Amino acid sequence: MFDAIVIGSGMSGGIAAKELCERGLKTLVIERGRKIEHGTDYTDWMQPWETPNANMVPEEELARDYAIQRQCYAMSAATQQYWVKDSEHPYTTPENKPFSWIRGYHLGGRSLMWGRQSYRLAPMDFEANAKDGHGVDWPIRYDDLAPWYDHIERFIGVAGSKEGLEQLPDGEFLPPFGLNDAEIQFKQAVEAKFPGRKVIPGRVANLSHAQPHHEELGRTSCQNRSLCERGCTLGAYHSSLSSSLPAAERTGNLTIVTDAIVHSIVHDPKTGKATGVRVIDAKTKKGSTYQAKLIFGCASTIGTAQILLNSKSDAFPNGLANSSDMVGRNLMDHVYAVTVVGALPGGPNSYYQGRRPTGLYIPRFRNVTENGDFLRGFGYQGAVVRPGWRSTLLGKPGIGAELKKRGRGLAPWVVALGGFGEMLPDPDNRVTLSNTTDKWGIPIVHIDCAMGANEHKIAEQIVADGKAMIQAAGGFVLSGASKPGVPGLGIHEMGTARMGRDPRTSVLNKFNQAHDVPNLFITDGSAMTSSGCQNPSLTYMALSARAADHAAQLLKEGRF
Amino acid sequence: MPDLPSLDRRALLGRAALLLGVTATGGFGAPALAQAAAQAKPFLAAPAFALLSAVADTIIPVTDTPGAVAARVPALLDGLLANWASATRKVELAEALTRIDQRARDEQGKPFAELAPEMRTALLTVHDAEALKPAPQGKSPAGAGLSLGLGTAVSDPGYAKLKDLIVILYYSSEAALTRELSYEHAPGEWKPSIPVTPDTRPQGGTPF
Repeated sequence: MFDAIVIGSGMSGGIAAKELCERGLKTLVIERGRKIEHGTDYTDWMQPWETPNANMVPEEELARDYAIQRQCYAMSAATQQYWVKDSEHPYTTPENKPFSWIRGYHLGGRSLMWGRQSYRLAPMDFEANAKDGHGVDWPIRYDDLAPWYDHIERFIGVAGSKEGLEQLPDGEFLPPFGLNDAEIQFKQAVEAKFPGRKVIPGRVANLSHAQPHHEELGRTSCQNRSLCERGCTLGAYHSSLSSSLPAAERTGNLTIVTDAIVHSIVHDPKTGKATGVRVIDAKTKKGSTYQAKLIFGCASTIGTAQILLNSKSDAFPNGLANSSDMVGRNLMDHVYAVTVVGALPGGPNSYYQGRRPTGLYIPRFRNVTENGDFLRGFGYQGAVVRPGWRSTLLGKPGIGAELKKRGRGLAPWVVALGGFGEMLPDPDNRVTLSNTTDKWGIPIVHIDCAMGANEHKIAEQIVADGKAMIQAAGGFVLSGASKPGVPGLGIHEMGTARMGRDPRTSVLNKFNQAHDVPNLFITDGSAMTSSGCQNPSLTYMALSARAADHAAQLLKEGRF
Repeated sequence: MPDLPSLDRRALLGRAALLLGVTATGGFGAPALAQAAAQAKPFLAAPAFALLSAVADTIIPVTDTPGAVAARVPALLDGLLANWASATRKVELAEALTRIDQRARDEQGKPFAELAPEMRTALLTVHDAEALKPAPQGKSPAGAGLSLGLGTAVSDPGYAKLKDLIVILYYSSEAALTRELSYEHAPGEWKPSIPVTPDTRPQGGTPF
């Protein structure tokens, strides 16, 4: 019998485990994937010429096993071990309604491959649903979460600049990875032409300057290699393996089991509480049950919905904690893959050295300082770079000495701006269970999700505003298509067990505690009541830490 | 015609054994076989490999820095044919090579690999320009690796792919990254502004 079980070892589960262990709770982390050793299992040592097949996954294998995962920018031969084989982990979608579910099943989950961009939600994000009536009201406000954002930023280490913006609150930052000269020139042009818009260094969970509490965990400062998604032996970016699980482990309170696929959560109708977790061994397919006083669901937005929906009983015929019928509904991602690219012929005569792990960020300005003919808004991630040979040589005519001369010359500056737009909660965007089961006998998920009219308007505005900013900086636009990418590709799934004030319309209360099951807490992306336009992992971690603190307090008070 | 591989003709084992150095003088014992197995198995037979080498070295010749052959691009591309390329891709790349060779025979009466270097350059310059001409919409886009998504459709996608793979392998090689470009595996500090001098080279190892 454990004090707590945490389902999932990724971004949220790692932090939940750390916070619970640090409060003295004997905690079991259950991970469905295999064990990965920090450092020794990584491929960041590979020089470019040491990657297999020029860092490309064999074409037939890619088509056969990675039809979905291959759509992710970070998938390569060097990172192949981190992505699920779609052939082994199927799901279904309606015809003509694709959803790309990008996943990694291993200890640490997607915290190993994440993009590391770390932004706080703002006061207006927690008020948005109440203001325009989409979704339900968040049961918390920014001030409830602010100290937990501080706590997480300090622990994981976020490099960033203080800007004093209401729509993107500042945090406890390490020094930023500074803008290059062309980005500074772009910033000046944009901010002069569009007062209210800001171009700032991307805020990123890489240690620009490791602090003693990072070094205690074996983490060191970032070496600007930009090999992050291979796993960082230096522990220079936050992941469960570099950071949160080692912190949990040093308390002596942590137990980890890997290759254990959660089938369902056990509920005792007499007490109204969850008593444990049924798992299936990934290798032997044998079933077993772990018991605990409280349970944290951190299996990821779609994974958590799958587990809850599969936890059926007489008390909960539609799935555990689902008296509201909201489990699986309101699935959101971000409006993504809407990118504007332009050339800046008047860029500065300078260059940069090193491969910083971030770029520039343009915080939301629509429906903040400038109106939009849509609800909510968007931000941009991007960079101004002098592109290398991939951009100057591939697909271009020319051979011989001329080609080599072009390859060794510095290219003109190019600006790339990728929008991230808010997606409204819609109960019809949902995850349900299919009649088909996977090879462990668990029903696979059916994902029915599409971008709506508001999202398409946002995509058009992302392109229009991006083009205008490139032109304001004296550049000319090379490309910019305004159709949002397939949902899921933003890898920001959220919303399938939303927080809310009313148990009839939401799954979780203001402490991420299931309205229906008091000792069940859900702190991954499924808890999100709205999506904001900011990269959400920082918020999941802050919610996880806050919920763990509350749960530990309740346990201490003898409430479970 | 060079001895290009066809998919249903992989009876190259005898030749492969020779190329691997498994000979009577080396002995057929376990150590010799183990040593042979540890080496990459050539996919292309010798004449095709010679054609590939000639094409690669014409696209990226020796200048003041090593060319494609010195960077082992033909051997690495042979490895891609064996270990990476799909069945369709193998045919596409073999056909792209054949077209270059056929052009040499038609115009110069000799296989491409037997032409003088300046003649190869002249012929391939014309072939390259024609092959990479923008094509009507609908043909598959060029560009093998990551780029900024600005690739356009070209008239000979097979040649575009062949050339891209040669370029990718060259600029991922130690020779190119240390002598043609600049590359540090762990740069350490991020320096957002450095002056441009005549010696400044683009950094390799970047995604774009």
